[in-house]
Amino acid sequence: MASAASALHMRGIGKVFPGVKALSGVDLAVRFGTVHAIVGDNGAGKSTLMKILSGAYAPTPGTIEVAGTEVRMKRPADAQKLGIRMVHQELNLVPDLTVAENIFLGRMPRRLGFFDRGGMVRRAAAILAELGAAIDPQQRLGDLSISQQQLVEIAKAYAAEPRIIVLDEPTSSLSEHETAALFRILRKMRDAGIAIIYISHRLKEVLDIADEVTVLRDGAMIETRPASGITAAEMIRLMVGREVSNVFPKTPSTIGRQVLRVRNAGDGERFHAISFDVRAGEILGLTGLVGAGRTEVARAIFGLAPLTSGTVEIDGAPVTIGSPAAAARAGIAYVPEDRKGDGIMPAMTVRENISLPVLRRLANRFGRVRRGAERELAGTYVRKFSIVPPDGERRIGLLSGGNQQKAVISRWLATDPKVLILDEPTRGVDVGAKAEIHGIIGQLVANGMAVVMISSELPEIMGVCDRVVVMRDGRASVPLAREGLTEERIMALATGEESAEGEAA
Amino acid sequence: MTDIAAMGQTTKDTARFSQGSRMVGLVSRAGLTLAILAVILYGSLANPVFFTAGNFVNVLMSMSIVGIVVVGMTFVLVVGGMADLSVPATIACGAILSLALQPYIGPVPAFAVAVLLAGLTGLVNGVLVGYVGINPIIATLGMGTIVLGIVQAAVGGVIVYGTDPSSADFVKSRILGVPMIAVIFIAIAILGNFVLSRTFWGRWTIATGGNYSAAQASAVPVRAVRAGAFVITAFAAGFSGGLLGLTLQSARPLVGQGYEFSAITAVVVGGVSIMGGFGSIPRAMAGLVFVQLLTNVMVLQGVRTPIQGFVLGLLIAGAVALDIALRKRGVA
Amino acid sequence: MSAFVSTLLRYRVAVILCLTLAAATLIVPGFASLTTLSLGLDRGSTIGLIAIGLTVLLIAGQIDLSVGSVFAVSGIVGIMLQPALGMGWAALAGVLAGTAARVVNGFLVVALRINSLVATLATMLVFRSVAHWMTASQPIPGNDIMFSITLSEIYLEVFTVCSGLFLVSILALHVWLTRTVAGRNLFAVGSNALSAEASGISAGRIMFLSFVFASTLAGVAGVLQSLATNTGSPVYGSELTVAVIAAVVVGGTRLEGGRGSALGTLGGVLTIAALTTAMEFQSVPAYMQQVASGLILILLVVLDRTVRTGRRKPAAAPVHA
Repeated sequence: MASAASALHMRGIGKVFPGVKALSGVDLAVRFGTVHAIVGDNGAGKSTLMKILSGAYAPTPGTIEVAGTEVRMKRPADAQKLGIRMVHQELNLVPDLTVAENIFLGRMPRRLGFFDRGGMVRRAAAILAELGAAIDPQQRLGDLSISQQQLVEIAKAYAAEPRIIVLDEPTSSLSEHETAALFRILRKMRDAGIAIIYISHRLKEVLDIADEVTVLRDGAMIETRPASGITAAEMIRLMVGREVSNVFPKTPSTIGRQVLRVRNAGDGERFHAISFDVRAGEILGLTGLVGAGRTEVARAIFGLAPLTSGTVEIDGAPVTIGSPAAAARAGIAYVPEDRKGDGIMPAMTVRENISLPVLRRLANRFGRVRRGAERELAGTYVRKFSIVPPDGERRIGLLSGGNQQKAVISRWLATDPKVLILDEPTRGVDVGAKAEIHGIIGQLVANGMAVVMISSELPEIMGVCDRVVVMRDGRASVPLAREGLTEERIMALATGEESAEGEAA
Repeated sequence: MTDIAAMGQTTKDTARFSQGSRMVGLVSRAGLTLAILAVILYGSLANPVFFTAGNFVNVLMSMSIVGIVVVGMTFVLVVGGMADLSVPATIACGAILSLALQPYIGPVPAFAVAVLLAGLTGLVNGVLVGYVGINPIIATLGMGTIVLGIVQAAVGGVIVYGTDPSSADFVKSRILGVPMIAVIFIAIAILGNFVLSRTFWGRWTIATGGNYSAAQASAVPVRAVRAGAFVITAFAAGFSGGLLGLTLQSARPLVGQGYEFSAITAVVVGGVSIMGGFGSIPRAMAGLVFVQLLTNVMVLQGVRTPIQGFVLGLLIAGAVALDIALRKRGVA
Repeated sequence: MSAFVSTLLRYRVAVILCLTLAAATLIVPGFASLTTLSLGLDRGSTIGLIAIGLTVLLIAGQIDLSVGSVFAVSGIVGIMLQPALGMGWAALAGVLAGTAARVVNGFLVVALRINSLVATLATMLVFRSVAHWMTASQPIPGNDIMFSITLSEIYLEVFTVCSGLFLVSILALHVWLTRTVAGRNLFAVGSNALSAEASGISAGRIMFLSFVFASTLAGVAGVLQSLATNTGSPVYGSELTVAVIAAVVVGGTRLEGGRGSALGTLGGVLTIAALTTAMEFQSVPAYMQQVASGLILILLVVLDRTVRTGRRKPAAAPVHA
């Protein structure tokens, strides 16, 4: 294995988006016949690196060598021609075709001009059997469960006889049995000389399957080591790696009585048995890795998605939230994660965006919205939160991300909520605005509001929250107190290295 | 998406928004005004009859019937419902029933019942589109056929004639020289503008069309708002159909044919986006004026009806293409 | 959902067809006869030919509202050019006019990326106007009344040229859809165009070609109809749009793409044909037949929608934080 040929060598890879440096100086060397794992926190740059490898992005700067020859890939088809196959987290499948057709999508075998269904089904069945997947190749793909679809996606990449195969969180929906089968096939592929790149948050699995591990953090490569020379704890340390400095000053506040209580909530799909409570004047952090289910919980509490089990209580009384309007009436507010998609109405002005949920209140008997009152409302928030430019008539799409976010938060404050759920409130926001938003949140809790903050940034969670709930794969830990909490511990809980008491395994 | 990638995305789009929008917004508004002026100029030069009060009154009258439908159709487009193709049926409903019921219950109640039934169609459309989630084109197309058939069946499939001269007189009367129909139309347009641009319902409509999920997440009752737009259009079409029937004093089932296209053309040419979320009654009215003036000029010049239709079709296609191209650049 | 109900749903096309035929035989005296069959088939084949094209388009995830207008234009071209080119060539020209129409549509949708609904809405108007323009809004008579008799001649006691053509085409389509790679790729594009593209299938080209195909067929139908009635009229086809869409939807082809079958469309067309023939026998006026088509369309679409939301599986759920 030690003298195996180089399959892939990425040198000095950087990637710059307008205003942001996503990657810088990343070196990655993978040899044929090895499994090379890449680990890193949310935002470390893993997906960007993989997009470059798959040909979707061009590196700026940096070079890529495949099997010793330098290559330049302009689009995914180029990568595929070089024998690089990706297995994405978001499935790239066609729901209305059969499993076999999906496996051979774009490469369906022909016989005498017609499509060789029999041959294709046989080959598909063989591949699926090798993978240990009990899936009927003639079944319609859309009828399968997510984990089965994921297996099909893997089969699809495998069927293309790749030289380099990249798997991005392939086991996120697989059971232990299926994961073991997957690893068997990965080992087979490795022994056959294929280079495998394995991206995962599940550190135990990484140690199980990988020969080498690379840790990324903040867009840079931190270290590469053979898997035998690293432990899970060390990986966590490298992933988190910074001094926990208090960049986020904590505004003191008195913590009052319980405002929101969630008991045993589940939606049947993405999260189960979630229980936590939030008190007045408190900031409860909700964190975990991408896919853990945090946003799903928030959306369900807010009425955007159905809750199939469990209860939600406000001020001790159970409430049924069937829609966002009902949630608003109950005193729950939610600032969505996807500002562009669910947050702002880009063609409307700042004022119109802020006043949206309370329009009825601002209208007179005939339904006419009282401009004066509306302007005043918007103006109050523009001033209070220093929204720049201080012009309520500006189209909100023209504002910077930070100011848009402040406007969206203002929108909900206008409804006078009891509990405010913020989903990644400082994502995509520059440093100055981040501080301002934290200042706003601090003011709110000082005045007695209960806040739930969903965030992927550990320093933020550590600095600002009074208690923290860590979610993993749809389940939540009990709320952890701030004292004695470390970023490493949160990461350990998020990756499953540590199992919190009270968590249903 | 990682933080970093997300950040990159947002900054990109903001940049797009700030550069193009102001200039293009101005151009599109100015463009239409210029176009209207150009048509007037050309018309006056080409034909002495054009720039006369008599001719303008004619234009106003033909504009009024379509205009009422346009008010309703604007709501449908702004809310993102694309188009309401049941308009020919609801117009026919208004026209046929308001005449057919006259001998039984009198002209005013007949009118009211006709409009109400048209509105009922809109309600069904609204439920199908807003709550069940069916494609609006299919829903309104289907409902249109059904309603047209029912209305015809109700009157035995014949042409209906009016029996009440007083209502005809009322409709054809003039206030200060302006035809009653035009007065009614202007009133409805003003009402429509008030609702769309000044009330919370109008704001909700624009928000729903602009970004359905964001509106939903902002506690807007999006499904009701979508349904409502179709109800409004059906009422408007029924109303204008009733007026049409009273004016002509006769109504055949195909009386409403083509109005949906005229209405959509006017709205789209006026700059209301077919994707939703952008537009206003004044804009639709500008489009209407332009189209009507253009048609008028063509008629005076002796251009045959079918070519006129052809030109209108080109206008729609062009306006929509332009709208989409603008949308892509992040400009509303 | 119980197994019985789901089997019922899967074969619903056949079920609906049988129910319709049964109801018709019971209600209409003399319905069950060979003459009825041939009449119905002939009537249905006009809708059927257009429906074949529309099926392909719908599977690809697009829609086309302008089929009725294309139908009219082709027929008119076919008739108008008769004196100049003689009947055979004129007919061909008519068909080509149909093809050309769809090249326009295809261009708008694929190249300019205009939503197919909107684009075909506009072209519907344009083509209809073209039809009116070419004929000065009058129906024009053709030259050869004898040919129309040939066309209505019945072979094997049941089939006319039209219905034969339709049946052959639909069987060919079935084979193409289920047995060729191109056919499967069509489904892929309609089901999830992005994934299809990612796997190397040229979605744009497939969509464009489907438009051309659909339009050519509408053209053929239009020419045949005009030859049969020996008239080219600008108002032809305006009522067809709803009936054709209804037939295709009854046949199980989804409006969102990715699902459909030629046999299903066959069933749908037969059902609609049976329905209209039965109603004609009962002297039900034309507008009521329209109501029936409209009702069927709406009911089926609603049914489709509710069934789907009922058993919706979480396919490829987006990964949220």
